[in-house]
Amino acid sequence: MPTLDVKNLVLWYRTRKGPVHAVDSISFALEPGQTIALVGESGSGKTSTANAILRLLPKNVLRYDGEVEFDGQNVMELTDEEFRRNVRWRGISMVFQGAMNALNPAVRVGFQVAEPLMVHYDVDRDEAADQALDVLRKVGLPADIARRYPHELSGGMKQRVVIAMSLILKPKVVILDEPTSALDVMTQTNIINLLKDLKNTDRLSYIFITHDLGLASELADLVGIMYAGELIEVGPADGVFVRPKHPYTGKLLASVPRLRSEEAPDFIPGAPPDLTAPPPGCRFHLRCPVSFEKCGWSAEEFIAQMDLLQSSGEAKDKVPSIASMSAKSPTSLLIKPGANGSVSDFVQKLNAFVAATSEKNRFLKSIESVQGKTKSVEVKLYETTPPPIVGTEWRAACWLVTEGAA
Amino acid sequence: MTTALAEMPTEIGPEQHSSNIVETDNLTKWFDVGLGLFRGSLHLKAVDGVTLTIKRAETVAIVGESGSGKTTLGRTIIRLLEPTGGKLLYDGQDITHSAEKRLMWLRRKAQMIPQDPYSSVNPAFPVYRILEEPLVIHKQGESKEREEAVMKALQAVKLNPPTFFANKYPHMLSGGQRQRVAIARSLILNPEFILADEPVSMLDASVRISILRLLRQIQQQFGIAFLYITHDLATAKHFADRIGIMYAGRLVEEGPVGSVLGEPLHPYAQALMGAIPDPDPANRLVVRQSLPGEPPNLVDLPTGCHFHPRCPIAQMGLCDVKDPELRELRPGHRVACHLAT
Repeated sequence: MPTLDVKNLVLWYRTRKGPVHAVDSISFALEPGQTIALVGESGSGKTSTANAILRLLPKNVLRYDGEVEFDGQNVMELTDEEFRRNVRWRGISMVFQGAMNALNPAVRVGFQVAEPLMVHYDVDRDEAADQALDVLRKVGLPADIARRYPHELSGGMKQRVVIAMSLILKPKVVILDEPTSALDVMTQTNIINLLKDLKNTDRLSYIFITHDLGLASELADLVGIMYAGELIEVGPADGVFVRPKHPYTGKLLASVPRLRSEEAPDFIPGAPPDLTAPPPGCRFHLRCPVSFEKCGWSAEEFIAQMDLLQSSGEAKDKVPSIASMSAKSPTSLLIKPGANGSVSDFVQKLNAFVAATSEKNRFLKSIESVQGKTKSVEVKLYETTPPPIVGTEWRAACWLVTEGAA
Repeated sequence: MTTALAEMPTEIGPEQHSSNIVETDNLTKWFDVGLGLFRGSLHLKAVDGVTLTIKRAETVAIVGESGSGKTTLGRTIIRLLEPTGGKLLYDGQDITHSAEKRLMWLRRKAQMIPQDPYSSVNPAFPVYRILEEPLVIHKQGESKEREEAVMKALQAVKLNPPTFFANKYPHMLSGGQRQRVAIARSLILNPEFILADEPVSMLDASVRISILRLLRQIQQQFGIAFLYITHDLATAKHFADRIGIMYAGRLVEEGPVGSVLGEPLHPYAQALMGAIPDPDPANRLVVRQSLPGEPPNLVDLPTGCHFHPRCPIAQMGLCDVKDPELRELRPGHRVACHLAT
């Protein structure tokens, strides 16, 4: 039985610009002692996923549902008070991003580590102090550290204190949110080695949140790749790092400059989408190198891409001249040909342009039909739905990935 | 110390062209740290004797952990800071102690790309004005020529179409686009040398590479020399010609990227390389080699080699006594270690 089984977890925020789809139907399961690395660019929903699991929600939550099974119990059904008492920190704890800078400067670190014991288990001070010393020793700190204040410690030592705090109640799952992001390379390595060691000796399960694929591979048994609030690929590290299924995972891996390979890193054109209005179809289709008709261009995106093509110097003379474009429905648009072009002429030119350049300008693949009207041309686009995430052990959400395919 | 004579030509600005854009000889920059009234002061040795040459149109990466002195070295080289000792030549001219007022020519020829694209541009200026400003300050051209220069710079950083971006305000741009604006601003005065201090560390991984590639293209297109300061050995590998590794204020190893990273000779460089993982699922099964301890306090540096207290091969009686010199052990590849061969 998995220690943690997350099913269709959703977390949307309410903002002035509209709902932010921070976490959109995420599912994954963790066996005891297993670590999943959640990897993605900033704003892809990694931290929101962690907050949703630990029920640490801001006030502007619009939608929060799904199932989180911890030790066989759906903890989403608990009241806030039950959740706080029995799950948060006792079952699932977290090392927050930048937590080492949030230690209380006026309280000795030993007390800060021991505090959850006294709050949660009503343990007396001496017993709590003993246990705190044990945990501090476990994370590789000398005993006299307990009497010191945070400002007396180096960054690496403070990070070890924060890890000790997350372990004090002996949780089964620890969420690590960028646990080494502010540390130097050597200190980072020491912390990762500590986490590796704890994972092996205590059979801890980690949810390791990072944007660094190299670091992810230091701890991950499973890898989950997040993009625009969705988990687009999840599977065993041995597979995902070597033969990624989703084109985004492939591009992300190719964007990592490697120390032990001469292969030049490549970048992903464009930027992640606005989560208040995620693109229809596959959320990655605008940046995808292998997108095709099913991937979900809307008429508005088509118009924006066409505009961009027209204004970019290189393709100017090749694009058929356009006077104006307007979206008629999400999947159809009207184009008025430029000044001295007849409708039939334009249809011919557009078809030739599509045939010649659709490999490069992939949005052109979304054209289902081009029809000449009296004064304008109607372009119909393929209708589509978002690609479902398919597979069992190793899942990916892409129309090009079929169930069971290697 | 410079004499009045040596400073003379710098007033006009050098016309001669040395093949080395920057040369430093045993450059030091110490900061005074006060201990309080009557108790005197100590020196924080941020840069402690760096000898480095940057040739025209090449990229030299300086890699080090925080506190290694890499940023101070960069800022001293473009004379935002005055060196404490040693010698600093720009295009063959001694500018070690030149007065601020006599360095206006350097402010045109040497530019800087800042780390933070969010705070380095004036939020109240449209992009056009951000880019025009340096031209106005340095009294370059009429407004028509300035407009041309601004459009050219926007094109060079691939903010197309330039007229579209010229009217935008910084808050309307993404992080990557803002950094492109900062790069365009650094290009506007046709510099020969650009200091790029962690230019991509605030950006997302997917954008990072596009900015570094752009810098590489700009360098080739305009023949600009770059000093790329970073903590990231892997980007230095792919975007620099030469690499220098700093530890506690000193250059411990320096040479062509292929040679230094192909065969790091200094124990610190070896440890640094070993500490950085490439994405590889086998990583989780092994414990990574690391160094004990922390970098030293720059106010109270170890004697001899600054690295000896953490060094796995240090020999007492040698490494803790004698400062290691940079020795050329491979072609163009220098190492400051008594024991490296």
